[in-house]
Order: sequence, then C-alpha cells, then structure tokens
Amino acid sequence: MNDPYKVLNVSENASDDEVKKAYRDLARKYHPDNYHDNPLADLAQEKMKEINSAYEEIQKRRSGQSVSGYGQSSYQYGYGGYQSYGSTYGGSSVMQQVRMAISRGDIARAEGLLNAIDDHNAEWNFLKGTICYRRGWMDQAKRYYETACQMDPGNAEYARALSMMSDGGYRPEGYHTFGTADCSDTYCIRLCAMTACCSSMSSGVYCLPCFC
Amino acid sequence: MFGYVLPSREKLTEEERAGFQSMYCGLCHTLREKYGFAASLILNYDLTYLAVLLSDGEEEQTACRRCVAHPCKGRCAAKRTAALEKAAACSVILAYWQIMDGIHDSRGWKRLKYRAAERVLRGAYRKAAEDRPTFDEATRLQLTKLDELEKNGCTTLDEPADAFAELLAGVAAELDDPVRQRVYREMLYHMGRWIYLVDAADDLEKDYKSGSFNPLIPRYGLTEGKLTDEAKQDFAMTLDRSVRSMAAAFELWDFGCWAALLRSTFYEGLYQVGHAVLAGEFRRAKRSKNKEGNI
Repeated sequence: MNDPYKVLNVSENASDDEVKKAYRDLARKYHPDNYHDNPLADLAQEKMKEINSAYEEIQKRRSGQSVSGYGQSSYQYGYGGYQSYGSTYGGSSVMQQVRMAISRGDIARAEGLLNAIDDHNAEWNFLKGTICYRRGWMDQAKRYYETACQMDPGNAEYARALSMMSDGGYRPEGYHTFGTADCSDTYCIRLCAMTACCSSMSSGVYCLPCFC
Repeated sequence: MFGYVLPSREKLTEEERAGFQSMYCGLCHTLREKYGFAASLILNYDLTYLAVLLSDGEEEQTACRRCVAHPCKGRCAAKRTAALEKAAACSVILAYWQIMDGIHDSRGWKRLKYRAAERVLRGAYRKAAEDRPTFDEATRLQLTKLDELEKNGCTTLDEPADAFAELLAGVAAELDDPVRQRVYREMLYHMGRWIYLVDAADDLEKDYKSGSFNPLIPRYGLTEGKLTDEAKQDFAMTLDRSVRSMAAAFELWDFGCWAALLRSTFYEGLYQVGHAVLAGEFRRAKRSKNKEGNI
C-alpha cells in the first residue's frame, strides 16, 4: 500500500484536524456526485477507495500511539452512491436491458435497443437522456431529462438527473466561480485585455514586436 | 476558431505564468524549426495547451531565445521535446484543415484570403501529415462529417460539436498509458466541444448577417443575431457541463508542474471566457488589439 500520508498529501506531523481536512477535501473531490454517469467514474471510485483506506490507516496508526486514545470518528463518504441501473428497476424487460447496457458502458447497444421502441414514455426519455449524457451530448441530455420530468413529475430518479445538470460540483479552495453565468463583469473584461495580444495571433496576424 | 482556452490570471503565480509563456515560445520555435516560418503564424494559446497536456509534467528546460516578435531581449522558451514536436504536428494539421474548411464555406474576398493562407501553409501541412498520418486521417474524417452536418442544416448543438470534439479527442491516441488515454480523451473531447460552442456563440452576429451556418440559430430558433436571455442561460449551462467534465477528468491524472495552470483554467478561466463571449466582450477585446502581450 502507498504511504497513506502521501495519498492524503499531508506531512506525517500534521495534526489530526489537518489530516481530517485533507481527507474531507479529497473525498469531496472524488465524490460520486461529481462523477455521476461519467465515463471515468470507475477511476474516481478507485481514488476514493485509496483515500478511504489511507485515512483509516492513519487513524489506526495514531490511535495505537496515542495515550489518550483518539475517538474513532471515522468519517466516511461511501462510494455506494453509484447508481446501478440494473437493480433499481422492475419494469419491462427491454428497459431493463437498456439499463444494464448503460451500466456496463455499452452505449451503442443501449441506444440500439431504445431506438427500436415506439412508445416514447417518460422512462424512454430518461434513458435516452442518460445515453446522451454519457456521450457528452449535454444539450440533448437536458432536453430529454426535461421531457421525462414533464411526463412523470413525481419520479425522483428523473428529477435527480435533471437537477444534476445544473449542479455546481466540486470547487478547489480559493475558487468561487460557479459557472459561466456567474462571473463578475469586471473580472472578465480584465481577462480579455490581457489576452488581446494572443487573440490577434490566433487570427493569423502576428502582434507587433513588443520590444520587451 | 482557436484562442479561447485560457487560465485565470489571478490564480497563477509569476512562475507559473512564466512556465506557460515558455511553453508558448517553445511551441513557436518548434513550429518554425520543423515546419517553416509560416507554420509559426498559426500559434495560439489553445495549441499551447495541447503541448502542455502532451508533455510529461516535469519542469521544462528553458533557454532564452530571440524571435521576430521579441527581437531585443528575447524570451524564455521551452526546449524542443517529443511532446512539443507532437503538439506542433497536430497544430499544423488542425490549422490546415480549418483553412480548407474556410475555403469550402466562404465566397469572394474572404475565400481568396483562405486560399492564400492554404498556399502558405501547404508545405508545412504535407510534412506534418507525413509525421502524424493517423491524426491527419482522423481530422479529415471529422471535418468532412462536420461539413455534411452543416450542409444538411442540423438543428442540434451536440452533433456538430461532437465532430469537433472527436477531432481533439483524437490527440489522446498519441499517448501510451491506457488510463492516461482515457482521462485525456474525456478532457479533450469536452475541450473540443466547448471550443466549438464558444466559437459559435462568438461568431453568432457575424454568421447571422452573412447567412452562414451557425448551430445556435436553428437550436434556439433565433430571429436576430443574438441570443435571448433565456437562451443565454440555457447555453451557459451546456458550456458549464463540459467545463465540469474537463475538471472531473483533470482530477484523475497527475499533471505535475502544470496542475496549477490547468486548475485555474478548468475551475475559472473557461467560465470567464464563456462569460465574456456571451456578454459580447471577447471580440471587442480582440479588435482593440491591446498589446499587453503577456498572459
């Protein structure tokens, strides 16, 4: 196993609170919500496992050394949060197959199955949205999710998928921008002034020698 | 089409900015040495990101070099590496096919300009295509697809963006490590998608006036050359999803000395550029030809 302190990126002399903080930050970063329906979810899951066992290992080592004994306040973000499409559904068997194909990552098969269905009900739209999302076709994904939610407003699964579309996700410390729409104007104009020189290059024209 | 991917300046230290600048200069020198002076004219920051991503994340060796743009004092430039050479070849191929696309799509005076550019870059392109035949083939394929979609007047944003996204994602095939390949594919796919969409938004007014294809017009049923507030909000969300996918991929690989640069790009820089484009500020800044030079 890798050095648990290295995994959490803290020194061996770090206080318990520092270790906990580092762990929490990493756990937030690799949280399943940030990799929901992401083709790289399995890699994030591995990271999460590594972080969890590093944190556990450090706690174990420290509680062994400590005189007073550290409280076992093991703080865990479980990675059980990944949706397993196959198990949550009990409806028609074709839809079931589509869900299984999606969870296997076999997007082409899932799409083929869906396209053969004429009844475009709420679930069909939801699954179509999921396929688009997996591909990175975010605009259409959102539209399918919206249709699914309109057709079946009470469905929690569809509502969750739609709300994930606008979810801000993880931000590192010191970063406060939530998105394109949330960006103070003065900030951006300053950025543009900085980049004017390189932008003029992109149009194929060299900027004048700056003699600098 | 290029020049949109940028870091957030406030989040970088002097050293980190200098590192990026030296990569920019290094790519410029590599382009010139390998493919001739004309090739160095295509340089921009998006292509520098390609060089950054292809490098192995270790501190680059630099040397102070003079060039046409900085003839007196010169600038620190990264030394030529295999990564820079790869990035240079991919850059030339991308630029060339975009020019060909321009010839195809435009008429009159503009077309002449593209034709002139094609002539200038032709030699460089032939060499680059020889160096990276697979990437050349993939690029040509995706741009043909894009062209067909545009001709058939497709009404979605995702399909044309996909063609361009796949094109950048093709760069990942140049890597060896399978995990790295997966992470890069996802990141470059969304970078390509984001660039295509931001570029479409940036060109919207111009395209509307000239009657050129722009995916935003059919998607939002626009009857004038700008987005309504509602459409803007919807479009910003689509951009954000791609930025978040880039950030999520970024966290799954160790980018070494480039981590700070990429972090500031994926968690802030791209949002700022997108915002400036949607506010109509990006082009204005371009036109004002401010000569501050450094990022």
